[in-house]
Amino acid sequence: MQEKDLFVSIAGEAATQPVRGRVVRSKWLYRVMTFLVVFGPGLIVMEADNDAGAVSTYVQTGAQYGTRLLWVLLLLLPVTYFIQEMVVRLGIATGKGHAAMIYQRFGRWWGMFSLIDLQLVNFLTLVTEFAAISLALSHMNIAPMVGVPLAAVGLTVMVLSGSYRRWERVTVFLCLLDLAWVALALKVRPSFGQIFHDSFVPGIPAGGLTANLVFLIVATVGTTIAPWQLFFQQSCIADKRLRFADVKWAQLDTFLGAVFTITVAACMMLAGNAARVHGIVFSDPAQMANDLHLFSGEAVRSGILLLMINAAVLGTTAISLSSAWAYGEVKGWPHSLDMPIRKAPGFYLSYVACVGLAAAIVLIPRAPLQLIILGVQVLAGIMLPSAIIFLQLLLNDKEMLGEQFVNKRWNNWVNWTIITVLFILSLILAAQVAAPNLFPAS
Amino acid sequence: MKMNWMTFLRPAPIGDVAEGSFVVVHPLDDVLEEKVDTTTLGLMPMTTSVRFSLMVLRGYLIVMMLLVLYHVMDLAGAFGHAR
Repeated sequence: MQEKDLFVSIAGEAATQPVRGRVVRSKWLYRVMTFLVVFGPGLIVMEADNDAGAVSTYVQTGAQYGTRLLWVLLLLLPVTYFIQEMVVRLGIATGKGHAAMIYQRFGRWWGMFSLIDLQLVNFLTLVTEFAAISLALSHMNIAPMVGVPLAAVGLTVMVLSGSYRRWERVTVFLCLLDLAWVALALKVRPSFGQIFHDSFVPGIPAGGLTANLVFLIVATVGTTIAPWQLFFQQSCIADKRLRFADVKWAQLDTFLGAVFTITVAACMMLAGNAARVHGIVFSDPAQMANDLHLFSGEAVRSGILLLMINAAVLGTTAISLSSAWAYGEVKGWPHSLDMPIRKAPGFYLSYVACVGLAAAIVLIPRAPLQLIILGVQVLAGIMLPSAIIFLQLLLNDKEMLGEQFVNKRWNNWVNWTIITVLFILSLILAAQVAAPNLFPAS
Repeated sequence: MKMNWMTFLRPAPIGDVAEGSFVVVHPLDDVLEEKVDTTTLGLMPMTTSVRFSLMVLRGYLIVMMLLVLYHVMDLAGAFGHAR
């Protein structure tokens, strides 16, 4: 069957034909362009996960252990891909979001639990995003009282245009801006031999298995794979109306997104390593940027501060959307970025409420931000393995998905291995919360 | 064939498609595809062991949430001895 014929069959018998498209003569060009129109959700879901919390975790890891934990990031590349790839198949097959699926197939209790947990973790995460924006702005001599509300307004305007495509283009552009981390990493002159060795030869840093090391490894895993990503990508795919024929392109989009985000994360670790090499001690990335500019120049300082803001903006739009989509799905409201405000008021109101309230909390003097950050890390760590179990069960649901989209035997082996490891990490995190002196302090 | 990126971003109306040509359609411009109908399926059928595992998971999650809540309140000094 020619690809043109395939396209016509997608159109179905009831409908006639799509109204707009590009006619091309080359099959190669057709494939490239088809990938480009499908491209977006995979890159966005991956790179938005390199949010403010991730910047902080990765630079902190680099500052404490240099490049010694790069192998953890490399291991996380296939893990994050395999998890999100399941979401791609589920989203394309059903055309519905993750929250709706859990509600329909596992009942009200699990549906409500997943939704409430997601909303809670997402909201706390949003507060940390705005806290990072506030911090970076104050280091740039911009008053947070002015900058934070402006950022909230900008984030709101991003989605209110009633055009999915416009939002996607802006967000993909913001994702690509993160390539500047690669330039920053090169500017601090890393040792490529060391990077290669530490990426491919797993090892524990000198000092052994301390509480701090365990926490940073768990935090790195928890930062790279987050529960909201499952909900976001499935809803995003449903909103973009990806078709059955788009599965392979959406998988490629997700894989490239995973490579992109792990590369950027590694560059953040290299920036942290540069601070370690120069003996800089810092409590947050903004302070690191300030101190690092003595050795690496003003460009590095400004670059890190702007990239912190970019990371927080990306995280905020994606996380707020995952909340708004999930709420809209469960409530049965219209929920699409391609709808004008008057047709999906509840969906847009949820988004604006998430952004506005999180921004407002950050502006409250002496808000307990450290407690909020701790809560985010722990709740996300607890929620993730159970969220993936539901994903795994849904992907084995032959009654719903049929043979074409269910997991193959090898998928199940890989995924159950990932779930087991994540559960062990979740239990370690739980043990650390319950008994903080479980591992040696140093 | 020479293609301009901006032209690509602005898809044109599709006329008759010549033999040997291919049509690239953005998913949002395509006609609606019939998806898997999930509304009539109801709850997922589960074996006893899966049902039991989910009950255990439910208990684990409730205990963990309470543990986290206690820990965070303890750190906040709600019990009168902030760390």
